[in-house]
Amino acid sequence: MTLKIKFFAYFRDLFGARERDLVLESAATVGGVLEVLTDTPERRAEVFAGAELKPHVVLLLNGAPPGRGLSTPLADGDTLAIFPLLGGG
Amino acid sequence: MSDYPISGYFGRVLVVDLSLGEVRTEPLDPATALDYLGGRGLATRLLYDTIDPACEPLGPDNAFVIASSPLVGTSAPTAGRGHMVFKSPLTGVIGTSNSGGTWGAAFKAAGWDALVVTGAAASPVMIDIAPGRAEIRPADDLWGKTVHETNDLLAAASEPGRPARVLCIGPAGENLVRFAVVANDANRVYGRCGAGAVWGGKKLKAVRVRGREKIAVADKERFQSGLDQALYLIKQAPVTKRLMRDLGTAGLVELINLISMLPHRNFQDCTHRDEDVDRVSGETLAKTLLEKAGSCYLCPIGCQRHTRVAGRDGKEERGEGPEYETMVLMGPLCGIYDMAAITRANYRANELGLDTMSYGGTVACAMEMAGLGLIGPGETGGIDLSFGGAEALEALVGMTARREGIGAALAEGAYRLAAGRGRPDLAMTVKKLELPAYDPRASYTQALGYMTSPSGACHLRGGYAVSLAFFGGAKEIPRFSLLQSPIAIRNMQNLGILQDSLGVCRFTGYAFSADPWARMVSGVTGRDFSVARLEEIENRVAALERQFNVEAGATAADDALPDRFADSPIVVEGRERRVSRDDQERMKRDYYEVRGWDRDGRPTPGLLRALRIEESRR
Repeated sequence: MTLKIKFFAYFRDLFGARERDLVLESAATVGGVLEVLTDTPERRAEVFAGAELKPHVVLLLNGAPPGRGLSTPLADGDTLAIFPLLGGG
Repeated sequence: MSDYPISGYFGRVLVVDLSLGEVRTEPLDPATALDYLGGRGLATRLLYDTIDPACEPLGPDNAFVIASSPLVGTSAPTAGRGHMVFKSPLTGVIGTSNSGGTWGAAFKAAGWDALVVTGAAASPVMIDIAPGRAEIRPADDLWGKTVHETNDLLAAASEPGRPARVLCIGPAGENLVRFAVVANDANRVYGRCGAGAVWGGKKLKAVRVRGREKIAVADKERFQSGLDQALYLIKQAPVTKRLMRDLGTAGLVELINLISMLPHRNFQDCTHRDEDVDRVSGETLAKTLLEKAGSCYLCPIGCQRHTRVAGRDGKEERGEGPEYETMVLMGPLCGIYDMAAITRANYRANELGLDTMSYGGTVACAMEMAGLGLIGPGETGGIDLSFGGAEALEALVGMTARREGIGAALAEGAYRLAAGRGRPDLAMTVKKLELPAYDPRASYTQALGYMTSPSGACHLRGGYAVSLAFFGGAKEIPRFSLLQSPIAIRNMQNLGILQDSLGVCRFTGYAFSADPWARMVSGVTGRDFSVARLEEIENRVAALERQFNVEAGATAADDALPDRFADSPIVVEGRERRVSRDDQERMKRDYYEVRGWDRDGRPTPGLLRALRIEESRR
């Protein structure tokens, strides 16, 4: 399946892209995709604390928080956005 | 140092009667200080004791109060803010507005806890304040000058180690534009609800302070433990550690678009092309116009945007902004994605003293009206008022501030503009205050926040739902929960009351909430301000603000969104979303119950007694 991954704020520098298409051969979960994406120690350290997501990392699957967190299954054509907790207003 | 029984206060309220030309100091009742803390809480109590909430906002019977807090003057992070309270000439209910900068800290250092200004002068005046001395001076020579000119002239009286800090209005306030600001350090503002027009009505151009009094800390160890915890947490959270400095508040633009909440064309929809949004994003701002980040008093976060842009004449201009709200409300809300034009309009608004948020909302309303033929081409002096008209956005700032041509109608705000031509439904306002840049159809929690904010549609007083829905981790509140929204928004509003009453910045809330503040304020005062006691103060202030509004004539019917949000859906997460009248009603009733108000939204006599809210002493 093909997924669109969007990066925001410092994740753009970290992953070297604003967005990328990711093609996977088999079904995947949100956590599985993040495992694939965090392919360097630096990337992994910014996203994960152990097996859990770091508290300041925010994920949106098609514009909504993934219902089952890292174990949320993904479907072909999904868009996963990854950004740090942002503030403003 | 003060001999007041509670550390952190001077126990002195500076009262200036501009009608009589008198200045006096009144004692601050210690029970009032303990029950209302400072900032927003204390200012609201002092205002309630000073004016009739039913008074005419632009007349001499209105007053304004600026209050400091026990933390201001200590080393607590961001604790230099001031809070101003008045009856709003835009909304007719309580006007409540907060500003950073340095004035708040300088005022406290002059040796007073609060400033109360009543009456009105016959000709332009300013108030000059220094330790042990305050006087009213003529200001005829300042009248007509811009915010920046006024600030520079008055700040020139600075002395080494004792800088002069200035609050002032620009031409917009002098001309009683209903959304005029009071500026602080030139580019920080008491922005919302029209404080500048209240000053203009009093013929008050400026208040200058020079202070050097010191604040005593009663329990240094307790204060330090809260301070250490706060500073540690600010360094831990990426948003307070670096993101605000890197991207400013406009760093939110792309995210808010991603969650279908970024308004477009006077809230007709939330649909934008990604490449357009990119042109007004915080990232693009950081890469193009940003010169450097800046900070308010004692702030380690540093969100200010010091920018430069090419003027329409090609000459480079320097200034501050745009912030998220300005970028979106002057930008996509008007169909505009031209960052340079938005920035220049922001600079003009800062110079002339206009609230960029209400201005953007009013221009967007005017653009929709022009499209419907409700504002004719002959009225605009040749300016094309179509959506997307960046030239109109820039040109109308000056016309609005000076009430020239169609600017005279815009100066009344979106509600009066639209209602005056028979279409109040085209004004995207609650209690006549223009909406912030988050579409309420994309979050029930945000919708309820706008409906129940004491000052009308304000994200800072009403509660900020984006944090609740997306940044809460395990504590996240689903954005379309009718059941959870009332309690969630009450809690968010209460945290805001606490921060406003302590004189600290909202953005500390991304790192921590009440606990470090409880320790710091307990340490300063030497009194035990537990989190539970702070919650009682928050509930007391919320009830008093509501009581003020009830006495000003507001009813439950005013706690409602414009028809558009109930009738015309937007698409969020693939589903059509609106906030139906039934849903609004249900959330509102639950919210009143959570607050302990009656079915008509009035604080009950029992609640007022339980919270020790006494009748007005006026």
